[in-house]
Amino acid sequence: MFDLLIVAATLVCALQAIRSPRLLMSALWLASASALTALMMYRLGAPEVAVIELSVGAGLVTVLFVFAINIAGEEPSVELKALVPWPLAWAAALGAIALGAWMAIPGLRPEATLLETVPFARVVWENRALDVLLQVVLIIGGVLAVLGLLSTGSAHAQKENQ
Amino acid sequence: MPSVSTLAILSIGLPWLGAVAVWLARDRRPALQHALAVIFALAGGAAAVAMIPVRAEANVLGFPLGGAFGPVTFLPDGLAVFLAVVATVIGSLAVIFSVDYMRGERQLGRYYAYVLFFIGAMVGLVLSSNLLLVFVFWEITALCSYALISFYNDDPKAVAAGIKALIMTQVGGVGLLAGALFLYAYQGSYDIPTFLATAGQLPANVLSLMAFGFLVAAAAKSAQFPFQTWLPDAMEAPTPVSALIHAATMVNAGVYLLARFYPAFEAVPGWRLAVIVVGAVTALMAAVMALVANDLKRVLAHSTVSQLGYMVYAIGAGGVFASQFHLLSHAVFKALLFLSAGAVIHAVHTRDMREMGGLGRQMPVVRTVMIIGALGLAGIPIVNGFWSKELVLEVGHEGVPAWAWAVMLFGAGLTALYTLRFVTMVFFGGARGKAHVHDAGLAMKVALVPLALGTLTTWLLAGDFAHFLGRALPEAHGGHGVESTGALLTQIATAPATAVALVVVALGLCCWWQREKLAGAARGLGGVATMATNNFGFEAINRGVVNLTQGAAESLRSTQPGILNWNVMAILVGLVVVLAILALGGA
Amino acid sequence: MTFSLPVLVSVAVLGLVGIGLAGLLVTRNLIKVVVGLQVIVKGGMLAMVLAGKLSGQLQTGAALALTVIVADTIVSVVALAFAVQVRRQFGTLDIQALSTLRR
Repeated sequence: MFDLLIVAATLVCALQAIRSPRLLMSALWLASASALTALMMYRLGAPEVAVIELSVGAGLVTVLFVFAINIAGEEPSVELKALVPWPLAWAAALGAIALGAWMAIPGLRPEATLLETVPFARVVWENRALDVLLQVVLIIGGVLAVLGLLSTGSAHAQKENQ
Repeated sequence: MPSVSTLAILSIGLPWLGAVAVWLARDRRPALQHALAVIFALAGGAAAVAMIPVRAEANVLGFPLGGAFGPVTFLPDGLAVFLAVVATVIGSLAVIFSVDYMRGERQLGRYYAYVLFFIGAMVGLVLSSNLLLVFVFWEITALCSYALISFYNDDPKAVAAGIKALIMTQVGGVGLLAGALFLYAYQGSYDIPTFLATAGQLPANVLSLMAFGFLVAAAAKSAQFPFQTWLPDAMEAPTPVSALIHAATMVNAGVYLLARFYPAFEAVPGWRLAVIVVGAVTALMAAVMALVANDLKRVLAHSTVSQLGYMVYAIGAGGVFASQFHLLSHAVFKALLFLSAGAVIHAVHTRDMREMGGLGRQMPVVRTVMIIGALGLAGIPIVNGFWSKELVLEVGHEGVPAWAWAVMLFGAGLTALYTLRFVTMVFFGGARGKAHVHDAGLAMKVALVPLALGTLTTWLLAGDFAHFLGRALPEAHGGHGVESTGALLTQIATAPATAVALVVVALGLCCWWQREKLAGAARGLGGVATMATNNFGFEAINRGVVNLTQGAAESLRSTQPGILNWNVMAILVGLVVVLAILALGGA
Repeated sequence: MTFSLPVLVSVAVLGLVGIGLAGLLVTRNLIKVVVGLQVIVKGGMLAMVLAGKLSGQLQTGAALALTVIVADTIVSVVALAFAVQVRRQFGTLDIQALSTLRR
């Protein structure tokens, strides 16, 4: 019962995140959806990843959103007319969901017994060492990209002033 | 002394670190960028040189990655370490040269980053013993080559040349990838030493497919027939790049590939003959084209293609040591020639030789080093090019169709002819240009002098070099080995092939010396000259392929409206269709 | 009626992905696009963990979900920096107005 409530709440939060006209509210709904996802992951039995998702997804990303929205400023509150009419959009999305559900859910296998006895940290650092390497490369690349993006403004302005 | 695997990782990683460092130093501080580039290039060179005494003959663990791809392994045997040292040392000299050549240019960060990235990738290519990793590094070198050819990206010629180089080398890359995938399918791993030892166990047709796929890849990368059109156009790149990538390192990757996999493919019927034909035809065609070109760098580009043809021919004839020895000599003297050509072009601001002339008086240092390099290219005795070219011709004497050997001999004469031609046009005779020129700057001299000394002396290392290459050579597996430098040199000097070759070279020199008297014959061959300028029709084929590719891309443009919502809609509709098909068909 | 946990989580996964895709279809604001992407990725993460649990390799599934978290955070960071710069240079976040591809 509890799980049903969590799932329903997550879907409601996600829906509101998409539909909300104000960007700041959107970010807050996204934060709650992240938190509920973390809770679901904990219920599934992966507490470490749940904690990471909570702090990164619900914390870091939300702060980033708030920061960016403050700098970029809010658009005029009248929502611009969409290019794809919204009934069509929702029909397509719901159609895809229904098809997916109809195909996947009856065939879900029962829970298998746990094959691995290795703790999470060992799995990450030994079996998935390539993934860790990739994450490091991604982070470095992301930092360099942000540095490049946010500094070209000032460098160009300086060049034009000279 | 750190372990071999650490040194291997350092010699790849230090140049890459340098690339990031130079980029972070920002274009506002060019002096810092120059300094960082030189430091990291030299550090990479030191790491590679440090591998010389500690090389291993078996796989050395780089680091474990776990999971599907297996560990990253290096095979730092003689062949690999030799090419790694060539790449990093000549790379360092080219970077030192760039300090003078690129002074005052914009966007130095991009230039040095790509050059250092390239050096690291080249070292990785030769050191890796995992075929998929070799392919990854192969593609990285192709990317850097493209980026550096189009470095002056507001010049449409440079951009077009870059795209052309990219398309042609990618076609070759497909051959390499196909070979790698075949290997995985039949042996379950990408390990190269395992493949070399057990190549006979693959089905014959699969082995042939791999052999010819690798030949296509090597021919495309080394600009051999029929892919030879991209290298002359790649001369739009800054000259240190031409020296490094298109003379001393990247184009050697094709020769390296053939040399490394020769033990596996030598038994494939028709493969050795195909390699010999490719090498011989390229050597001759490129020599003829070098004879009629008027752009100094184009002449050198055509001569690079021609000399690579000699190396490929040597491999086909079974003389892997001869081809590597010639690779060593060629890397040194060709880098020397390109860098001194760069010094000349930097001073005179033109690449057309018809506007040069009489520069010898004003640029004595450059004239001296360029003449030394030219002696190497032409194969005049005592200089390293002589010994290696004679070894190639001598090895290519047995087991090879007679016409191929005759073609190579004729090519040697042509080489001497065009070498004397361009040296004369640039440095001697009356001055046709107007500018007052200065001699090369300090950084340029620092780069040029070691190369000149190298050209004069690397042949002395022949015996040690043979022992160094050791087990990587098929000769060690039951052919005739090379005992020592003295024995090798005596063998070369007393072979009949050498005498014949010397006569042909002398004939070539005489032809130039008597060129006024032979002018009538030259006019008669004018038709050949026109065909040569048009690259014997391959240029037209090439343009056709490029136009076809771009035309197909243009006609598909209408499916990309650029509006996110419609793109996502298309994705969603596609997803629904796929799911529906699966639901109705599969379940 | 009570549903088992795997069924509920699969519903959540599909729902999140569908909502996110619908959001990408109807929005014109660049920052809303990033929100939609985030929603989709939440669904993806849940799917990883669920798949791990159902095949008995929970820790591997969690490790993959970790990679996804890192990757998607970096994507949103770079996308938001991008949106900020776009706002500064062009003054608008409307994707229709920003598109300069010739048609």
